[in-house]
Amino acid sequence: MKFRSSLVIAACAAALAAAPAWAQFKPTKTVEFIVHTGPGGGADVLARFMSQVIEKENLAPVRFQVNNKSGGGGLTAMAYVAEKKGDTHAIAVFTGNWLTNPLTRAEAKYTIKDMSPVVRLVLEPALIAVKADAPYKTLKDFIDEAKAKPKSLKQSGGSVTSRDNVVRQLLMKATGADWAYISFPGGGERIAALLGGHVNMMIVEPQEAGEHIKGGNMRVIAQVSDKRLPGFPNVPTVQEAGFNIPNVEQVRGIVMPPGVAPDVVAYYEDLFLRLTKTTTWKKYLDEQQFQDGYMKSAELTKFFDSYTDQMRGILKEAGAKVVR
Amino acid sequence: MEALLGLAQGFAVALQPMNLFWCFVGVFLGTVIGVLPGLGPAATIAMLLPLTYSMPPTSAVIMLAGIYYGAKYGGSTTAILLNVPGESASVVTCLDGYQMARKGRGGAALGIAAISSFVAGTVGVVGLMLLAPPLAKFALTFSSPEYFALMSLGLAMVVLLAGASMIKALLAMLVGLWIASMGIDLFSDASRFTFGTTHLLDGIDFVIVAIGVFALGEVLGNMEKRGQGTLLPVPKGLRNLLPTMAELKACRFAFVNGSVIGFIIGVLPGAGSTIASFISYGVEKAVSRHPEKFGTGVPEGVAAPEGANNSETGGSLVPLLTLGIPGSGTTAILLAAFILWGLRPGPLMIQDNPELFWGLVASMYVGNVMLLVLNLPLIPLFAQILKIRDYLLYPIIFGISLIGVYTVSGSLFDCAMLAVFGLLGYLMRRLDYPSAPLILGLVLGDSMERALRQSLMMSSGDLSILVSRPISATMLILAVVLLFLPLFRKANTWRIKALEENG
Amino acid sequence: MTQSTYNKGDVISGAVLAALGVYIITEARNWSFTSSEGPGPAFFPIWYGVAMVVLSLLLVAGSVLRPSVNKGTAPTNWQGIGRALTVWAAFAASVALLNVIGFLMSFALLTLFIMVVMYGRPLKQSVIAAVGNAVGFYLVFVLALGLSLPVGPLGF
Repeated sequence: MKFRSSLVIAACAAALAAAPAWAQFKPTKTVEFIVHTGPGGGADVLARFMSQVIEKENLAPVRFQVNNKSGGGGLTAMAYVAEKKGDTHAIAVFTGNWLTNPLTRAEAKYTIKDMSPVVRLVLEPALIAVKADAPYKTLKDFIDEAKAKPKSLKQSGGSVTSRDNVVRQLLMKATGADWAYISFPGGGERIAALLGGHVNMMIVEPQEAGEHIKGGNMRVIAQVSDKRLPGFPNVPTVQEAGFNIPNVEQVRGIVMPPGVAPDVVAYYEDLFLRLTKTTTWKKYLDEQQFQDGYMKSAELTKFFDSYTDQMRGILKEAGAKVVR
Repeated sequence: MEALLGLAQGFAVALQPMNLFWCFVGVFLGTVIGVLPGLGPAATIAMLLPLTYSMPPTSAVIMLAGIYYGAKYGGSTTAILLNVPGESASVVTCLDGYQMARKGRGGAALGIAAISSFVAGTVGVVGLMLLAPPLAKFALTFSSPEYFALMSLGLAMVVLLAGASMIKALLAMLVGLWIASMGIDLFSDASRFTFGTTHLLDGIDFVIVAIGVFALGEVLGNMEKRGQGTLLPVPKGLRNLLPTMAELKACRFAFVNGSVIGFIIGVLPGAGSTIASFISYGVEKAVSRHPEKFGTGVPEGVAAPEGANNSETGGSLVPLLTLGIPGSGTTAILLAAFILWGLRPGPLMIQDNPELFWGLVASMYVGNVMLLVLNLPLIPLFAQILKIRDYLLYPIIFGISLIGVYTVSGSLFDCAMLAVFGLLGYLMRRLDYPSAPLILGLVLGDSMERALRQSLMMSSGDLSILVSRPISATMLILAVVLLFLPLFRKANTWRIKALEENG
Repeated sequence: MTQSTYNKGDVISGAVLAALGVYIITEARNWSFTSSEGPGPAFFPIWYGVAMVVLSLLLVAGSVLRPSVNKGTAPTNWQGIGRALTVWAAFAASVALLNVIGFLMSFALLTLFIMVVMYGRPLKQSVIAAVGNAVGFYLVFVLALGLSLPVGPLGF
């Protein structure tokens, strides 16, 4: 079996640096696609998929090679990108973590502002789900019971800074209800906890829960999304259900190291725009139940600012130690 | 019976030449990768995923399952011959496997590992086939209190791994617990014991500690004697390279033990093959007539963990295929792969995609046979590794270990940590601290703490949740019994002595 | 009259572990022991920290108060320990040099060092073995398996 190895061609770097600024940028060697997870993690799978699509649909003249820089809770990859100043052949997948981690981790040396935004690609909505035989038919049912019996209901989710808990904090603050949050490191364990009746509710990604919902084991009582997902036309969004909380998006997109010229960014903006227009991509979004959230670098910069401010406020209220 | 019909259908799919070929590719690749410390089945599957995009999903699934299995087989080879654990679960195989190699029974150890893996792997597949849906329901009743009890039982095994000094074994275990808690605390987001650097935010990878303490510690220990590089004795002749009937007979119970324990623990999401191997080893030692010989190279000390390791594979596919819940890192990637191919494992999978499910099950049988056939004849070849002179072998071990660690994260910090743990391993050897409890503490510490905190959150602070549920209460009682076992034994010896003295 | 020696190794390691235990407890005081949501991040560390201190003190005490008769007679093999530590230092150095001269060079040098200094093999044989090792690793890991290893200024 032949493996494609990532060849680092040292000589090219010098040649590229000499490219005149007025020329249209085009990559001339393998592009490094940096992800902050190990093989198989969310960002990694996405990056590999995108590399596949780019290659299959001939969207770029060169290969894209995924480089896993896991560790440091995501900070290793961020540092790696931030320190690659001026490298026009390095891009990275960013997720909401890249924006919030530096807010609470004093050890972080760089923030998202130390990188060049390129595009935002997907928004990941979520579903608020309960076990099929639970007595809650709507979100209001759950919140009412939580208000009646404070601290007795339980929600399973990821770490305390994850979106699951953020939504919980926002709902609790808006309604005065209080219920416990139990962290499980893996999605599988969270779902098992719900299906086994050990917790009452969870906030889950549609593709993780899809089969359970179809199979009748889980019921969705609300969705965390701007507009209703095509797969769930009859489920109200949290706002439609009457809870006026801001919609904290879970996002993924692309950033680059600092110090790259505008035409380089423009090239990648355009590349990914063409990517989102392919049928393969659209099919992928459908299957994963993501929403297209394409945004170019100018808007993305503003999004970064508003998102970070919003999260800073939420984290402070939730009692987390905010250092930036 | 529906299951047999499905299985027949599955074999029709699995035995197609195309799928046989991919199965072979998978097990071969898996074995090679498994031999490399650090690169586990998870990373391999992820790296090969793009190759599978152009393959029909059934073939791709069969190949990936082959890799998963093969990696488990491969991991034991370096564990036995070089004391280098190929993947986390192989650590337990190092304990007796490497000692067998030192006594000249390396080939036999490899053979026992292969046979035990085959038996247990087959049992695992049978279990998957027949018991999947009811087991899945059982798995759901298991939650944090039960996990805590399971981990406590695992940690109580330290008593069985202690050797001469119980205090030193406990201290080693406590250090393992400490290393396990380095990193970001899941529940409160606090950074614990990170010494202010980002490198430790994710803690120290188990592989680094295991390779450092076991492999490098061993090499450094051997360096003390100059030029007395004793070659490990390699018996001549094929007959002597394979396990003897006596050895196989001694493993009778271990085969059963490994198969059952591995499968059951595999079914529980999040439990993992390392725990399965430890518990299986512990149980084997507990019921043995000569427990003090464990750790010096007894065949059943290899058969039990190796079996558990492999039947865990079958077990971990139960929640994945019936509930769509991945039970471990590797199954999580398999799940991602399934979804990428548009398949949906879950309660409806057996109904909607029977040819896939049964094809997978059948190909696992096939894979197991292939691995046995592949590995047994290769044993004499592998055993030749032991013939390499040590001044050549030791640098190679250093090199493989370094590569293994570097490929996991690409981090120089991790390589430096490897050196640190190599030194620690050497010091532990010199000062007579057993290393297995350290690994045990490292592996279980994290999960146990999490399970405890989750349990208390579920019960809103009420400790009785741990003993009010039948399964967790049973395991906790077992753990307590285990902990006091040495005292019972001592009391028994006194009693016997007293009886003798009284005539 | 048996020599009343105590096992120095046990005493020193016990002392070190006791110190580690104290360090753990001190660090853990920065975090919450329990919170409204259950045990906090300090909970486990304090337990095993305390256990560590207690057990290591027991170890030291046991070693000093119940001297083992036989352990004292075998002299410590300082020469052997020195050899082992030298090899370790060589390994540590090769790790430090990974990014400077690349993995293959580093590995070749380590092989050379071990063969010549530790085992006293002839220089020519050692150089051949060192180069052979490096080439072998290159073929297996870089070419065949496509792994990327640290490279030095010469590109490999």
